[in-house]
Amino acid sequence: MRASYLIARREYLSYVATWGFWLSILAVPIFAAIGGALPGLIQDSQPTRYFTVIDETGQGLDQVVRDSLEAQRRDEVRGRLEAMVAAMRGDAAAQEALAVFDQDPDGLRYLDEAAAQAGLGEAAAALGGERRERVMVDPPARDIEALRPYLTGARTVDTPEGERALFAAVILRPAPEAPVQIEYHSTNITSDGVSDAVRSVLRTHFREAAFMERGLTPEELESVMALNPVVVEIDARPGAQAGAEVTRADRAPFFVAIAIAFVLWLAVFSVANMLLTSLVEEKGGKIIELLLSTARFHEILIGKLAGVAAVSFTLFAIWGAVGGGLALLGGAVMAGMNPEIAALLGSLFDPGLLLAALFFFAAGYLMYGAIFLAMGSLCDTLQDAQTLMGPVIWTLLLPMFFLFFSIEATDSVLLRAASWFPLWTPFLMMARLPSDPPLWELVGASALMIFTTVLVVWGAAAVFRQGALRQADADSVRRFFRLKKNSA
Amino acid sequence: MSEYALELEGLSKSFGGKPAVKNVTWSARRGDITGFLGPNGAGKTTTLRMALGVITPDSGTARLFGKAPDAAGMDNVGFLPEERGVYRKMRAEDVIVFFARLKGVPADEARRRARALLERFGLADAARKKIKELSKGMAQKVQIISAIVHEPDFIILDEPFSGLDPVNQQLLEDIIREQAEAGRTLLFSTHVMEHAERLCNRIVLMARGEKVFDGSVEQALARVPRQVVLAAPPGEPMAATVAPFGDLEALEESEAETVWRLTLKSGADAQAVLRALVEAGVKLTRFEPRRPHLHDAFVALVGDERAGDVTDRQPALSEV
Repeated sequence: MRASYLIARREYLSYVATWGFWLSILAVPIFAAIGGALPGLIQDSQPTRYFTVIDETGQGLDQVVRDSLEAQRRDEVRGRLEAMVAAMRGDAAAQEALAVFDQDPDGLRYLDEAAAQAGLGEAAAALGGERRERVMVDPPARDIEALRPYLTGARTVDTPEGERALFAAVILRPAPEAPVQIEYHSTNITSDGVSDAVRSVLRTHFREAAFMERGLTPEELESVMALNPVVVEIDARPGAQAGAEVTRADRAPFFVAIAIAFVLWLAVFSVANMLLTSLVEEKGGKIIELLLSTARFHEILIGKLAGVAAVSFTLFAIWGAVGGGLALLGGAVMAGMNPEIAALLGSLFDPGLLLAALFFFAAGYLMYGAIFLAMGSLCDTLQDAQTLMGPVIWTLLLPMFFLFFSIEATDSVLLRAASWFPLWTPFLMMARLPSDPPLWELVGASALMIFTTVLVVWGAAAVFRQGALRQADADSVRRFFRLKKNSA
Repeated sequence: MSEYALELEGLSKSFGGKPAVKNVTWSARRGDITGFLGPNGAGKTTTLRMALGVITPDSGTARLFGKAPDAAGMDNVGFLPEERGVYRKMRAEDVIVFFARLKGVPADEARRRARALLERFGLADAARKKIKELSKGMAQKVQIISAIVHEPDFIILDEPFSGLDPVNQQLLEDIIREQAEAGRTLLFSTHVMEHAERLCNRIVLMARGEKVFDGSVEQALARVPRQVVLAAPPGEPMAATVAPFGDLEALEESEAETVWRLTLKSGADAQAVLRALVEAGVKLTRFEPRRPHLHDAFVALVGDERAGDVTDRQPALSEV
């Protein structure tokens, strides 16, 4: 016991008492925030797409596209103004700001005035009055051959930002069986944003024109175009109140369970790697020999597993404390402002899910930790270890694919079957928990997982013993499988 | 209390059907410094591992302080394995404290002893340095301290001198003698026969997995045929005169003299050889009975082909 404790303590301190450990703790939320913000950042950092539309149908469709894009942009800015003022000054201030903004029903002439009245200050820049994703410019030429130099960047067009290359040229031609044919020219063959935007505008235009031809008044047309089904999702799960609508708080546990499964996977993968590198270092540095003269195999094995487990619990404790604190704080702040968000934040911390996470982490960690320790005991260098790690890494990666699809299909037969595979149970059963899997499945898969864990730890201890004494190495594993292959 | 720190009886061990240790029996008496010698692959490490209960023998028994090796017995053993290393990122003092605490020394006492031993080994300035910042020899001294910091009754050192410079080898010899004078039992293996010859009062020699000798250094030296180096001008009747005493081998021939080595037969006496030569009127220019060394005993007991990895300083001709 004493030896296990001291080995665990040394192992724990060797990670925790380093700058790298604390930097990695800070790095995780930072990288998570960057990951979350990345789509928006990419969108914002994308240069404005300057395109032109040449209408060969004589129907004035180029002007339709221009007007529609301007109207869309106005609606987007108006929506952002309303949301921002409501969040900062309240709903009444938002309505007052909109009243000022709407003095120009077609453009953004009163945006600055509205923002100033609401007291947005520098935050007004985020409304996006200046920067635009797509801007339509007048065509510098009328046929595609003449336009080509503008598309390739050999020549430029005059834009509000200065001289720029043309991103796309859209030529609208008459078509025999369609209202119009959209011919889209661009050197960027993967981005279809401009093409989609023009198509969407023209589709709406032709539908509105068709309705008008059939005698609808503009008011009737507006009401027809505004028709949209209202979806009411009712929670029919056992125990739910009759007629109770599904809220974001109801859905939260499903996302939380999958997020926990990802965190478990990440934690198991990281700490199992820690065990592997630590043992390879001890084996390669001949430290294991000195340890064996002071402690028994099982004491070393238990000490190492316990030390690295303590490292992961430190990670969980810090992230949990920070995350829990932020959620509680956010819940308390939002309780008065938005009860639904407050309920959502409150539902993130389900003690049942956290207990299950603890159980599945313990099993997953012991299985993979023991396997990685056994592999480490066979290797003197990380290069040796990498050749053995391949199959284990793939076994560990496969449940990730299931996790990606599990949110839409928690009842998938394949997912249910996969969650019975003991090496995947910790992650997949964790993700399935909020969908209330049958009790027999939960108990059966967990029992199989516990049995496998005991078996893996026992086998790993035997391999560890052979590896630590240099009676087996990475070549022994290769020879073993070659023998199996030959005898098969 | 058992008279022996370690008793091995009929120990055998095979790996994959290949015998590594065959029916080995010997013991280390308390207070002795025992040299555990043998060429590479002789089975020394496997024997030590069985002695300490790290691996289980196929047959035979090992007793540590009169009992089967257990945790309490192991706490009273200091073991420096041949293949050794320490945590490169740990400080020297912390490494020693860690191993002392593994052996049951309280934390404060472990730190006090670590500092005292670092001072004794000339490493006081390196106490707070990480192992990776130390030279190989300094790191080795930290390993040696780690093996003895818990003041065990029985110290096993596997090749303790390798990697140490002559000054530190001398320091280690002094430490080994100090430990023996304090009543501790020492067992060490080495390829350098000079150390064994100077330090040990008992030798256990293994070859090909078997014990080939077990006795005092004097008994080992007695197994070596005595030799005499002779020299005389060419033409002297050397061969005819000494032939009854043993085998004569010419080592060097020059115009001035021929140098021979005479390996005496069992029971032959160097004084009788000298008397016979004087009586025969041989004009001797050199007559030097050669003192046998442990290296010679090793070669004689193990066999020339297996003794090649013993790195004793074979005395040069000019020294014999």
